[in-house]
Amino acid sequence: MRQIPYEQLKETVYCEKMPNGLDVYVLPKPGFQKTYATFSTRYGSIDNHFQVEGKEEVRVPDGIAHFLEHKMFEEPTGDIFSTFASQGASANAFTSFDRTVYLFSATGQIDENLTTLINFVQNPYFTDENVEKEKGIIGQEIKMYQDHPDWRSYYGLIEAMYRDHPVHIDIAGTIESISRITKETLYECYHTFYHPSNMNLFVVGGVDPEHVLELVRKNQEAKQFPKQGGIRRIFPAEPKEVANPRKVIVLPVSQPKCLFGFKEIPGELEECELLERELATKLLLDILYSPSSANYQELYNEHLISDNFGTDYSCGKDYSYSMFGGDTRDPDLLLKRVREQIDKALEQGIHEADFERSRRKKIGGFLRMLNSPEAIAHEFTKYQFKGCNLFDILPVYERLTLDRINRRLREHFNWNQLAVSIVRKDEN
Amino acid sequence: MKTLNYDRTVAGRLRLHVLPTRQFKTYAISVYIGQPLAEQTVTPYALIPFVLRRGTQTYPETKQFRERLDEMYGAGFGFDIYKRGDYQIVQFRMDIIQDQFVSGTKSLLDQAFQFLGDVLTRPALEDGVFRAKYVEDEKTTITRRIEAMINDKIRYAAERCIAEMCRNEPYRLHPLGKIEDLEGLTPELLYNHYQHWLSTAPIDIYVVGDTTLDEVKALVEQYFRISRADCFEYRASRSQVVPAEVNTVVERLEVSQGKLNMGLRTPVTYSDPEYPAMLMYNGILGAYPHSKLFINVREKASLAYYASSRLDGHKGILTIQSGIEIENYEKALGIIREQLDAMERGEISDLELSQTRAMIANQLTESQDSAFELIAFDFNAVLSGKQRSVNELIEQIGGIGKREIQETARKVKLDTVYFLRDRKGEK
Repeated sequence: MRQIPYEQLKETVYCEKMPNGLDVYVLPKPGFQKTYATFSTRYGSIDNHFQVEGKEEVRVPDGIAHFLEHKMFEEPTGDIFSTFASQGASANAFTSFDRTVYLFSATGQIDENLTTLINFVQNPYFTDENVEKEKGIIGQEIKMYQDHPDWRSYYGLIEAMYRDHPVHIDIAGTIESISRITKETLYECYHTFYHPSNMNLFVVGGVDPEHVLELVRKNQEAKQFPKQGGIRRIFPAEPKEVANPRKVIVLPVSQPKCLFGFKEIPGELEECELLERELATKLLLDILYSPSSANYQELYNEHLISDNFGTDYSCGKDYSYSMFGGDTRDPDLLLKRVREQIDKALEQGIHEADFERSRRKKIGGFLRMLNSPEAIAHEFTKYQFKGCNLFDILPVYERLTLDRINRRLREHFNWNQLAVSIVRKDEN
Repeated sequence: MKTLNYDRTVAGRLRLHVLPTRQFKTYAISVYIGQPLAEQTVTPYALIPFVLRRGTQTYPETKQFRERLDEMYGAGFGFDIYKRGDYQIVQFRMDIIQDQFVSGTKSLLDQAFQFLGDVLTRPALEDGVFRAKYVEDEKTTITRRIEAMINDKIRYAAERCIAEMCRNEPYRLHPLGKIEDLEGLTPELLYNHYQHWLSTAPIDIYVVGDTTLDEVKALVEQYFRISRADCFEYRASRSQVVPAEVNTVVERLEVSQGKLNMGLRTPVTYSDPEYPAMLMYNGILGAYPHSKLFINVREKASLAYYASSRLDGHKGILTIQSGIEIENYEKALGIIREQLDAMERGEISDLELSQTRAMIANQLTESQDSAFELIAFDFNAVLSGKQRSVNELIEQIGGIGKREIQETARKVKLDTVYFLRDRKGEK
């Protein structure tokens, strides 16, 4: 067991790699009633084409990682929700682009709940019948999202940016693609990506680290996993330019929704750690468009944006893009005004005072996040799979310089890389 | 299980509730201001907090106002407007870092109270009333928000079901008010409403964090200067409506999934001794993934992705919601009604009982790890006049058996069935 203290934050992480390759992390939170645990695999919707060392190349139907997540909850003995309920735990799971996470939160019977979590994820049970039954349920989940304008505009933007990279494929797939899923394809994906060496377990709450680690050691020792070679994840070469500079979706909405963003070209970015790029970019977007920025206040005063206007930046190993937007009375006018504002920023650069104020806010936001066991678990795992450490966020913020932010400003905003996604009630 | 003790007092006719604890890295502050839901006042009272968040006498420009929050290490600041029972509640929230984690001379708690006191009692003014520009801007913002209700079909269906069900009660009103009533609100009229709102509403100020009642009392006395004749109490409301027959409403929009929502009445509310039985009823029926609705509508019949029930304990309304294939309306409605009948017949297994008790107890215990959830739970007691600690409620849940739930089930009456569907086959 290794101990990693973060004195400034008054937090300590305990970790250990099991002989089968599983990484386990424990963050004790004295005084907390709740224990929150996530068991995650580095496997998400983008992993639809892969090859395990010494085996054949495989292509699987879109939406299979998410389908697999649903099906894991079924055991030969019945629904695992029932077991968790008997032990007073709320359980759930979700699938993102690059990971699938199973979790519970509970205030008692922690050993039992932890054992249930590990065992159900390490025990797949798929039958022709239970796979067919799930297609109806996921079909309704897909339809629910189709009616959701925020979700549609979000995906619309990613589709507008990416032509070939699977990040543009809906996490749940389509009703057609999931119809091709069988128990055999599910087992194939399961055995590839649910090997302990591709997974991590994170436990946070009022727990004793050594006790948790001992439980996991015993649990894993009793199971056999065949040795597995590395997984090669195969991604098509993505063109530099955006797939579609402007995408319009028609849905019944009160006002148009307009999301826009810049697609970055992986080979052309300043060499640095992913975490530093992410934090520098998020800081930059905050300086430019947080509610305390001059830009935001101008657009609000012109009634071009509402309270739901926001920004975000997402990055993986071979894709990264920014996102801006919300509801607007006039998407074209909004885009025109933003272009003027960003061109002005490109010309004048970022001011020291704005940089310092934003950095201070971000540090406060990070400290506030540490109140929430759920947020810690999710953020920690997200960064771990990207090869970064959540607790480095504070020192990285402290290291960032105005000069770095200004370089990032010039690197990111390239008008040739702009894509726009609009949801409105009529074409035009 | 830990025991939580609030220290309470009254200062300047405002009720203060302070929970000293070192569990969190922040101070959490909530201010609750409530007024009875009423046709004439719902709109101005909704507009007030929107205007207050634009500027204070110290920071009159919105940009300065927002920058001030950033300077306090990105203090969280926001407000919500919602219905609880027959009240329209405005809740202001602040969330700030405890001093030990950051460097600085003046306590952040002091700075936060100064800020919040200014927001509530010293708003930016011109000619002795609210700034006209801010009033106009925020009217637009509220209008857009009310119009945007239609965008999220799950919420839209839920709101429409309640509005249909309560069409003869104030509860039909949207907490943000009515678009048509905004136009006539001049800065002067709105300012008069604001003064009345602040001087006649029950106001409760909560702080959870590393502080004391004395410290908070001194800050409130220094920064919250409001002239009030009394402290004012909430009067518990109670749903007296007994549905005669089921009202069915079908609405058509361009949707691909149908939304089936149902509204039921219960005479049992938060302050009643039967409330724990009502919580158990809701839990067994539809609050969890082991509940009857999830098992029967989703897992067995494969009809839906979500199928659940929710209890509004202050109003005495239970709602059921599910998203289904449009042609499966009759089938889904049939399965849901079977579950309601099964509850009335007392068809409840020992496993359902023990699972539901465990889930409710867990949820209540977990809420103690969040400062704002701790506050929200305590505010239930202020609003309903019924003191009941988390521990007491868990204990009472433990004593609820099949018989008590069946008795409660007999009092629950289906009032409204609302179905949102596509336009196919429309006449």
